[in-house]
Amino acid sequence: MPRAVKGVLVECDPSIKAIILKIDEDHHHAFIVEDLDEDHLVVKEAKLAELKERLEKILEKTQMMEKDDDSDPDQPG
Amino acid sequence: MSGGNIRGFSYLENLPPITFRRLYQQPATSLAIFRRMLPNLAKVIVTTLLYNDKPIPLADLEALIRPESHRQREDAFSKLRRLHIIAEAADGISLDPVFKKNFRLALTGGGSHHSFGVPCNTPDKKNVTVAFLDEYAQKKFESILHFMVGTHNDTKPGDGVIELLCIGKLMERQGKGTQATITKNGFSFLLQEGNSQIWALLIQYLDYAEDLKMEKTDVLHFFLMLGSLELGQAYAIKTLTLTQRTMLTDMRDYGIVYQRKASSDRFYPTRLATTLTSESGGLRSASQTMDVATGADKADDEGKGFVIVETNYRVYAYTNSPLQIAVLNLFVRLTTRFPNLVSGRISRHSIQEAIKMGITADQIISYLTVHAHPQMRKNLVILPPTVVDQIRLWQIEGERMKATQGFLFKDFTTAQDFEDVARYAGELGVLKWKSVQKRCMFVTRHEQIAEWLKRRAAGGKR
Amino acid sequence: MDGLDASAHYTQGPDDDKPSLLVLILDTNPYAWSQLHPVLPLPRALASILLFLNAHLAFSHANRVAVIASHTREAVFLYPSTTPTPPTDNDPMRDANKYRQFRIVEDEVQASFRKLMAETTAESLASTNETMMAGALSLALAYINRLCMSSEDGQGGHTGGNRTANGTRDADMTTMNARILVLSVSGDLSTQYVSMMNSMFAAQRKKIPIDICKIAGETVFLQQASDATRGIYMQLQHPESLLQYLMMCFIPDNSTRKHLVPPTQINVDFRAACFCHKRIVDIGFVCSICLSIFCSPPEGAVCTTCSTKLDVSDLGNFGGRPAVVLAKKKKAKRPKQPKTTSSFSNDVSAPASAPGTPAT
Repeated sequence: MPRAVKGVLVECDPSIKAIILKIDEDHHHAFIVEDLDEDHLVVKEAKLAELKERLEKILEKTQMMEKDDDSDPDQPG
Repeated sequence: MSGGNIRGFSYLENLPPITFRRLYQQPATSLAIFRRMLPNLAKVIVTTLLYNDKPIPLADLEALIRPESHRQREDAFSKLRRLHIIAEAADGISLDPVFKKNFRLALTGGGSHHSFGVPCNTPDKKNVTVAFLDEYAQKKFESILHFMVGTHNDTKPGDGVIELLCIGKLMERQGKGTQATITKNGFSFLLQEGNSQIWALLIQYLDYAEDLKMEKTDVLHFFLMLGSLELGQAYAIKTLTLTQRTMLTDMRDYGIVYQRKASSDRFYPTRLATTLTSESGGLRSASQTMDVATGADKADDEGKGFVIVETNYRVYAYTNSPLQIAVLNLFVRLTTRFPNLVSGRISRHSIQEAIKMGITADQIISYLTVHAHPQMRKNLVILPPTVVDQIRLWQIEGERMKATQGFLFKDFTTAQDFEDVARYAGELGVLKWKSVQKRCMFVTRHEQIAEWLKRRAAGGKR
Repeated sequence: MDGLDASAHYTQGPDDDKPSLLVLILDTNPYAWSQLHPVLPLPRALASILLFLNAHLAFSHANRVAVIASHTREAVFLYPSTTPTPPTDNDPMRDANKYRQFRIVEDEVQASFRKLMAETTAESLASTNETMMAGALSLALAYINRLCMSSEDGQGGHTGGNRTANGTRDADMTTMNARILVLSVSGDLSTQYVSMMNSMFAAQRKKIPIDICKIAGETVFLQQASDATRGIYMQLQHPESLLQYLMMCFIPDNSTRKHLVPPTQINVDFRAACFCHKRIVDIGFVCSICLSIFCSPPEGAVCTTCSTKLDVSDLGNFGGRPAVVLAKKKKAKRPKQPKTTSSFSNDVSAPASAPGTPAT
């Protein structure tokens, strides 16, 4: 008889997954229920919000969002 | 619901069964829930069951629906289950007896439940017209929105309203006694269409009311009853329950009902009330509700539109309304302000800032479309497609993952078992992901699969 | 924080169901109803119909209904009636127990129905036992057109707004889905053939399904109407359970029907009525110019519809092989042969164009 586990399926690209794996490792595997394949994994429902928050923090640090040039290109000067 | 953490009408779906049972005791509430909360297919299922005395087997009901539409079918049945409208037994599906009785009563009329409001037929001393009610509702509701963006109008909303906005985290106070300021949620709230805004407030009120020891079902009955009242008609207060009379004062502050004096023996529902249970797809479109609610400059003889968007992402808005400017400022980088015009640009940065606040690209696009300048409306496609596409792309750019709640099925004994379940889940439209090698799959809902497995196991033993 | 989670943005389903307009045509032919009386008395049928209308209104705040009576000599609106009847009683307690919209429709339908019956005298019935089905259908179509057009002017620009943003501003800017439901109790009237067919094609063009709920009698044309407009045709096996039929089969609106398996369609009888004697014919003559149908060559060989001089001298082989087999091939799949036609041609257009059945 198969077993059913409650959780949240997270779809993401492999780079994001690597970060999630890292977060999980740093926190004694508190997030991931099952690692499915290179772009899918199942995490604990209660931990999803925290995971997102951590992920966002890391992304903010690692990813340099190119500064939006707010100057108007059509405007001379 | 879209829009970050604001709970809308769909929040009601999560009420406990006992609350629903109590709600169904009123024909007006049964009707309102039927009308507002069910998809059309589910409504057809309800009417099919309504005058059938015997339960109908699930398979027979499902046979009525085309196999291609399994997604809609699944959606309809899950809504009906979640709202506890249908009861499932071994011999088939039937309607919840309380719902059945009262929904029939709503359709046929009769009984003595007075759930559709008792009209006041004695003439009022002062004539209250629909136009007056519209104006009143608009003024009241607008003052709330204005208050949120911090423009100081001559009318400040009541303390109860401000309290509610703070509790709902639409606004927050830094310290005691300081001026409340708008939060991210509040901004996203501003961009929602009128009906969702009102419901968001009412749901907030519902929670708040519970803290004040008001009966939750009583409060809900009253909300849903308001939706079935007639605009321009006076209703008697004397048949309302005590809770509902208390609520009346608060509803007056939102502009949902009008009462001339607190001691008056009658109240008038405004358009905000009577459209509570109409669906957004109704004749009164979202944009109109929005215009009523935000009071897009009526004095403007050009009509309601004032925003021009150019293909080079520049935005010109002919307005001097602080509310409109504040809303635009959520996703446009405004640079210049003239007495009757503000201009600025939509940029990647400005859009992504907005998305971080929980505003969606669709909300932005629909806002721009609804408020497009008449000059823009002459085009076949109102907004420049490049801008629309780019706004969507900017949204997708930031989205690095997608989360779906559900259940992981694993440890299948044989490949055959796995294949069968996967196929069944696929047919139900609940399968999100599967892997043959790992023999596991992810589904969004498990009840039916579990049942199916049980049935299969029982069949296998025999 | 939800900036990086895409799921929230896509969970919201598209909710673009348009409100729907139901025009119900009630065949009030007193002859047919008197025969039906033992199984389904008219008052009970009316009660079921009103309940059905309420259910339709309950679907959406914006749904609308209209009721038309197809009477012996006229077709009249029962709701909305031209002369609004003042509310009969003003008991507020009664109001409180009924949704206002339901009550308005019910009161008005019942009042105008009573009025209609009061006006029906024995003399007015003496000369005829027909029902003005064609008239009622055209009234229904005109009403639908007016309602959908007028709401287009008022609000079309706004409601279409959201879709326009997606770059798919579709041609149908109508704000309502309309459908017609005919509750028919009497048989066909071949005298109304032409006007019936015209209404039917108009409905087909406007994509308005005509549903037929056949309580009694035998109809060829109504079958064709529902077939051509993709409506539902249902012959009631048990007229006494009219309500159940209505609530199960006829309640879904046009957009919901996409998801439903339609009730089984019986074989449609595609026969036409001739223009000269209004007889339903299997084989007839077709004017090569205007495609009018005749059961026998018209007098003086002049088409009664378009006054073309026809050459009937070649009709020697009438009764033999039909001159045109095209129509036959086309309908080969249908179990019932629609109509074979021998064409008589005049000199202008020697090869007669396919004398199709009205359904083609």
